[in-house]
Amino acid sequence: MTNDDADRDVSAAIREKADYHRAPESLVAGVLAALPPESEAPRRPAWQRWLAQGAAFAGVAVLTWAATVAYLRPGEDELRADEILASHVRATLGKHLIDVASSDQHTVKPWLSARLPYSPPVADFSAEAFELVGARLDHANGRPVAVLVYRRRQHIIDAYVWPAGSGVKAGELTRDGFHLLRFGAGDWSYWLVSDLNRNELDDLARLLARGA
Amino acid sequence: MDAAYNLARWLTRNDQDARDVVQDAALRAYRFLDGLRGEAKPWFLTLVRNAGMDWLKANRPAELTAMDPAAPELQRIEEQTPETLALRAVDRRTLNEALAALPAQFREALILRELEDLAYTDIARITATPIGTVMSRLSRARRLLAASLRAIARASARKVHE
Repeated sequence: MTNDDADRDVSAAIREKADYHRAPESLVAGVLAALPPESEAPRRPAWQRWLAQGAAFAGVAVLTWAATVAYLRPGEDELRADEILASHVRATLGKHLIDVASSDQHTVKPWLSARLPYSPPVADFSAEAFELVGARLDHANGRPVAVLVYRRRQHIIDAYVWPAGSGVKAGELTRDGFHLLRFGAGDWSYWLVSDLNRNELDDLARLLARGA
Repeated sequence: MDAAYNLARWLTRNDQDARDVVQDAALRAYRFLDGLRGEAKPWFLTLVRNAGMDWLKANRPAELTAMDPAAPELQRIEEQTPETLALRAVDRRTLNEALAALPAQFREALILRELEDLAYTDIARITATPIGTVMSRLSRARRLLAASLRAIARASARKVHE
């Protein structure tokens, strides 16, 4: 047995068995409450602040434009990618990540179909190390959409699912450290969003496509 | 916020002090918002780590002096040959206890790498350590943990025989 093998074993043991201490809700609330209100923000001369804001805005505009040109046809899809990324970030930052917490597809599926005009496929891939942790309802393009929430190690993966129109266009996009992956499977259209690496995100896409 | 609390909890090893450390780091973060360069998570974890280290310095100074990497005891432990036996079967409680008992430097390296899944470059930034040191520290930390798990396994085996 080599040192490398031993290292891998230790690594795996920690990843599987060490406690991951999530922040208690009271702590999150306490931290937010302790921060000074917005108006007391550290002062810089006004012109500097405007300059910084202008630069940031220009940066975002250039990125958005570049991403649009490089990856997506303009119009509906672009809007959707932006909305979905924003929705994912809101959900992971805040506490509204999951409406129904369950790894049981027979709990999650009826919960979703009771609240949506469609009933998306729901599958747990714990065996492949993509654990289904639950689902939530979200809004994209002004419509309610089902979001299946998976976890791999400490990474959250949101899978947005809705009925596919004809000819789903596959695509991918990386923005602000998040990967977005779009594909069609059977009668369904998927967007995956996560800070997980691309290869592992592809693995989940394959699993979902096989299940659908 | 979870990542911050998790790191603080593993450094201080108790809930209340971990909360204080995160609070402290959040206030520092707020005051030095201008220091934000690049990604927010490693930057915030740097502040949590520093607040955690300050806490250790104030409350557990012995732990920081005990983690002199050249300590002969650590070197002796590392030289033992690795075996796989104890590792695969180790239960959660034993693993958590052994991890908590590691010197702080090794503990934080393992938490950032294995639980937060951070890149070596991020860990180097957070702990203000050259990347080569991060890598050697991680490998020594794994060996130390393996050694202490083996020691625990042997001790409990003896108990069963008696």
